[in-house]
Amino acid sequence: MNAPFDAPPSVPVGTGMSIYDPILIGIDEYGLPVHLPLIYHNILIGGEPGAGKSMLLHNIVGYAAMCDDCDLVLIDGKQVDLGLWRGSAAEFVGPDLDHAIYTLERVQGVLDLRNSYLLDQRRQKIERGDGMRPLLLAIDELAYYAATVGTKIEQEYFSALNRDVAARGRAVAVIDVSATQRPSSDIIPTSLRFLFGWRFAGRCVDDSSSDVVLGHGWAGRGYSAAKIDPKNRGEGLLLAEDGIPTRVKGAFLTNANLLRVADYAAAKRREARDTPPNLRAVA
Amino acid sequence: MSKSNRRNWFGGSNNGRTVTVIEPEIERTQRRKAKIAFFVTAIVTALLAGTVFSSYVHPILGGFLGLLAGVLLGGTVAVLIIIWPVLRIIWHWLPEILLGCFLVYGWTWLMGATPVWLSLLILAVIIGAPSAIGPARRAVLSAFWCLTVRHRLRMCFAAFIAHNRQRTLPFILFAKPTPAGERVWIWLRPGLSLSDLEQEGQTQKLAVACWANESRVTAASRKYAALIRIDIVRRETLTADVLSPLPDHVPDDMPATALASPATPPVGLNFADVPGPRTKRAPNTNTRARIPRNPEPSSEIDPSDYA
Repeated sequence: MNAPFDAPPSVPVGTGMSIYDPILIGIDEYGLPVHLPLIYHNILIGGEPGAGKSMLLHNIVGYAAMCDDCDLVLIDGKQVDLGLWRGSAAEFVGPDLDHAIYTLERVQGVLDLRNSYLLDQRRQKIERGDGMRPLLLAIDELAYYAATVGTKIEQEYFSALNRDVAARGRAVAVIDVSATQRPSSDIIPTSLRFLFGWRFAGRCVDDSSSDVVLGHGWAGRGYSAAKIDPKNRGEGLLLAEDGIPTRVKGAFLTNANLLRVADYAAAKRREARDTPPNLRAVA
Repeated sequence: MSKSNRRNWFGGSNNGRTVTVIEPEIERTQRRKAKIAFFVTAIVTALLAGTVFSSYVHPILGGFLGLLAGVLLGGTVAVLIIIWPVLRIIWHWLPEILLGCFLVYGWTWLMGATPVWLSLLILAVIIGAPSAIGPARRAVLSAFWCLTVRHRLRMCFAAFIAHNRQRTLPFILFAKPTPAGERVWIWLRPGLSLSDLEQEGQTQKLAVACWANESRVTAASRKYAALIRIDIVRRETLTADVLSPLPDHVPDDMPATALASPATPPVGLNFADVPGPRTKRAPNTNTRARIPRNPEPSSEIDPSDYA
């Protein structure tokens, strides 16, 4: 009979996925896969309820949760969507504005530390293999924090923090993914919306709402999310690398698959956290 | 050309009725351009060619040769400019012209090379096969729509979209089928821009004219502003569910996910179960709205929304 300490130490193996690689988020109308490289970018997700915003968030957050090299900070006023991934999150915030502000201040602290490090190293940005883990900040129901609860000053402070993260986070591998139904100026300040280079518009009620998400003038050229069939959930217009909105059908995860992926990602993160440093180096 | 009592290159009379090929205004413009081009080309060519020829032959003979070269080249340029509207129409109908030639000459050759019954059999197979075979039928239909869309777009440009001061229309280059419809490349003439096609409701009119669901206009080149692309969408290709590949990364031996707290009954979750606030909410003193001294009339559209 072998003593437990005689068992050979096992080295946990990660998923091998990296946030530096593009994320498959669906297919376009030509049947081609659409990959979204998120690193060094921020994305704003809009659309009416049921348009597929949450499923896109699940795809992005799920991929990041499966990555070995990415930390997650999740803020969800509705709780039930991003809450599925809280087992993988470094911090999960529910409908608590104070907690959200405190968490964003922590993220802001990360920005300061990393920028100081880069200054010392005489570099401008973090790159793969630097040893610093990229951070994905996902905010669902942005309007809840920026326009619904708390005082005006608290809401503006929350938006200011979010703007700082979006503005300074790009170079230090902090990715801002914000979702709300209609990101008009009363919910998300114009100066903050400008910082989201990439946009995804799920189905919108009218052309002006679509333009609010994608930017002025796209509806006039025929790129309007109001033309999307209301019954075809998950379809939307993605404005990303090409600079031209692409009609995309987002990848779908059944609830069972969502739970399965979330549990697996959380287990892998626990496994990596519990691994002794010497074995982690081997892995 | 609308006068039936004149013989000309572009229009001809037919029992007193006029067939207009080129608009009179365009014809006048082309004639003026052709004259200018003829003289400029002829003079420049004559001078250059005369100088070169004079190095090899007698200067007077060289001058005549240069003049002859100038007249020939200038004439060629002028003719090209005059017939350009016709060339453009030929380009526009080129697929149909080639198809017609192929059908006529192909049928003639087939009838000469094979018995009548075999010719008819081959014809039946050529027509019947695309109808019976799905991919072939779709390929034929795609080609049909590509040809149709070019003519429909030209009609739109002439009718309501855009033309410049010379009344020349955008030049339709070519069309290719896509799973959702067709993609057409357009070369804008001087005096036009992408914004001319982005006016309110223009893309919807294009879609209606092309018997499509929607149309989208965008720049097709980062180098040339004149090159634009029109996507015609007539089929919905994104109706099927696309499964995420994330579950494929989860090993099969991963235990099935158990329900969270299955023993927790859903009690105390209704409106009646939530007590009202016991204390009065503190007034929010920070939300005092500033009253502008000169209030502006309210508008439903906030320009800052469209960043």
